[in-house]
Amino acid sequence: MGELVADEHVKYILAVEKRKDDFESVVTEHLRINGAYWGLTTVDILGKLESVDQEEIVAWVMKCQHESGGFGGNIGHDPHLLYTLSAVQILALFDRISVLDIDKVSKYIVALQNEDGSFSGDIWGEIDTRFSYVAICCLSLLRCLDKINVEKAVNYIVSCKNLDGGFGCTPGAESHAGQIFCCVGALAITGSLHHVDKDLLGWWLCERQVKSGGLNGRPEKLPDVCYSWWVLSSLIIIDRVHWIDKEKLVRFILDCQDKENGGISDRPDDAVDVFHTYFGVAGLSLLEYPNLKAIDPAYALPVDVVNRIFFK
Amino acid sequence: MEEEKVSDSGGEADPSQLLYHLESILDSHPLINEVGFIHPSQFLSLAEEASTLVSASIETIAQPEDERVNTKLSGGNTPDMVFWNRDHKLGISTEYLLPLYKAAKNAFMAAVGRYNNAKMSRFHEESGEASVSGRSSSFKNFCAVDVMKHSRALLLLNSDFGTAWNYRKLMVSKEPHVANFMDELGFSKLVLSYSPKSECAWSHRRWVIKMISGKCLNLQEIVEKESDLVKLIAEKSKMNYRAWNHRCWLVSYMSSGQVIYEIISSRDWAGLNVADNSCFHYRSRLMLRMLEGSLTKQGPKTISSHDAEYYKILKEELDWNEMLIKRYIGREALWLYRRFLSIYWINQFVIDGADALPHSNQTPISTSEIKTFLDNELQLFYSCQVFSVNDFDDYRAQATFSATYMLWITRHFSQYPGSELIMELRPRDVQEVLEKYCPERSCLWNFLRTP
Repeated sequence: MGELVADEHVKYILAVEKRKDDFESVVTEHLRINGAYWGLTTVDILGKLESVDQEEIVAWVMKCQHESGGFGGNIGHDPHLLYTLSAVQILALFDRISVLDIDKVSKYIVALQNEDGSFSGDIWGEIDTRFSYVAICCLSLLRCLDKINVEKAVNYIVSCKNLDGGFGCTPGAESHAGQIFCCVGALAITGSLHHVDKDLLGWWLCERQVKSGGLNGRPEKLPDVCYSWWVLSSLIIIDRVHWIDKEKLVRFILDCQDKENGGISDRPDDAVDVFHTYFGVAGLSLLEYPNLKAIDPAYALPVDVVNRIFFK
Repeated sequence: MEEEKVSDSGGEADPSQLLYHLESILDSHPLINEVGFIHPSQFLSLAEEASTLVSASIETIAQPEDERVNTKLSGGNTPDMVFWNRDHKLGISTEYLLPLYKAAKNAFMAAVGRYNNAKMSRFHEESGEASVSGRSSSFKNFCAVDVMKHSRALLLLNSDFGTAWNYRKLMVSKEPHVANFMDELGFSKLVLSYSPKSECAWSHRRWVIKMISGKCLNLQEIVEKESDLVKLIAEKSKMNYRAWNHRCWLVSYMSSGQVIYEIISSRDWAGLNVADNSCFHYRSRLMLRMLEGSLTKQGPKTISSHDAEYYKILKEELDWNEMLIKRYIGREALWLYRRFLSIYWINQFVIDGADALPHSNQTPISTSEIKTFLDNELQLFYSCQVFSVNDFDDYRAQATFSATYMLWITRHFSQYPGSELIMELRPRDVQEVLEKYCPERSCLWNFLRTP
């Protein structure tokens, strides 16, 4: 199995940041700010954030801001809540939230709350509990959660709970580990975890672990490293992580590394990418793997970054 | 026979020419219904396949006008084609994706820039700064056409370029005719043909449906077609969460008759796709919708004839699910669906105390029915434990799923009269199965077994 090849992963991420001309990086340019968040958070968990050019990144992030206050996935792209959270998280990593006009950003988010408490992702009106999480997480990091109707936001999330204990993207939608993370994370941030049937949800979540030790996101699916984050963080938040085999999961994640060139893939022997590298390293951090910074399961940021915001 | 030559030797093509060709093909072939990316080596086999087909068909039938074959070969057998277009299918060579994509993106961004400038200048005119609004209005329309054209090419190369979808929404909102909305349904369907999981494309369809739901007379028909589209896509793209999520979303637009029709008509498909958890979730969504507002709206003590019908459908679903469980060994999705059906059956139809319904002999569930049900579930559990040591993993999975299902039943049925029967299930039996086949989850099993 071997160890975590931390240095190779840092090198891999820094190289991907610079690579801009192959098809893969070009067709993902519309969500580059998500990629930057995944990469930079990984580098921070690995203790190497000082190796990136902070000024350059902060300047680029600010160029992604739209006049409405929201952020686009790259310069010149339309704003969306998903990209706005990544922007705020990147600035939080660098302790630079102060460069933001918090009033402007929060107004953008607040305006996207609907009458039933749900959130639209942007002005075009698609509704999803992911957007509820993003809005709540973002406003909390900006210390102005009181600007939205939290009670209604919580009630909407609760209305997306299924009989299996999980959550979907809208009322009646299928339970999915990614959506569960968003709902449980949002309920944790708003202090509303009493709405979760922890035993029932914990049961569904731990049935995501398959023979290889990896976790899947839905029944009958193959395991995927990204669920090491979505499932695991949810289990930690609801205090049921002892129901899975943690050692086997650590082994599964380590088996997905490209040990020569760095990076982590979805499953052993597949091609690596930044997304799975982040979720693999973040998962190992949740599993208390040695020499990694601890990550907060609800805010998806290193614990010291979160503490810096709330205990300043 | 007309031949469409869009080729290039050595990959040195002018990107803007490539884009022009792509857009010309799309303009002149509005019936294209599938797009795909193909490796250069596939052009040769496609060409051979086509020439065989063509030579065979020339003798029998006349060639349809739109049937064109790209078969330019150069340097022996090396095909150097960029696009393949035949039988309403468009193939794009993977070798040219990068220059094409860059050209499409630049053209789209430039068109957006021109459109926004035209909008601004018109705004200034309306504020009295000029007086040639007629001319500038037509210029703005011209820019809008460009935005639509280039966003189309761009989204056929990268389905998740959100800004391009947004501008299409904006353009259609300015000309909100039903036909324009229907065009967007057609276009996003084409995008889904090469990218069936594209979240943006599915979301675009929901936006269109929300926009026309107030002004369209044949909404029911659109919803039906939409449901069929998901079925078609789910056939090729298994366990596609985004597609099934779209179908679940449609349920709120369905009439109660349509809900029943969907339950019955989609049953065979589910029976052939027993590992697709999403299709069983869809069925649970339909079941919930069917019973929404039946018992609850009228108060628990009134049972309508509809309820009797719904009760029958739910019971049939339980029987059908049991049949599938016995036929397809070790399928997690089937067992999870049974968990749903069992608690839904008891929660929805049992009414506190057996005397709640003196005038009905059909529903709700009586104590003896609960006993019959539990007896059946016990037998199902024990039947799943009978297999030889040489049987494969599927049988062990089946035994495990049946044991966890019994834990589920014990947990959810213990409050109802008649549930004493569960006590006949020896806890030791369940425990043995779980410890034997799934020891890694012993923490959870120990917890669930404690009452």
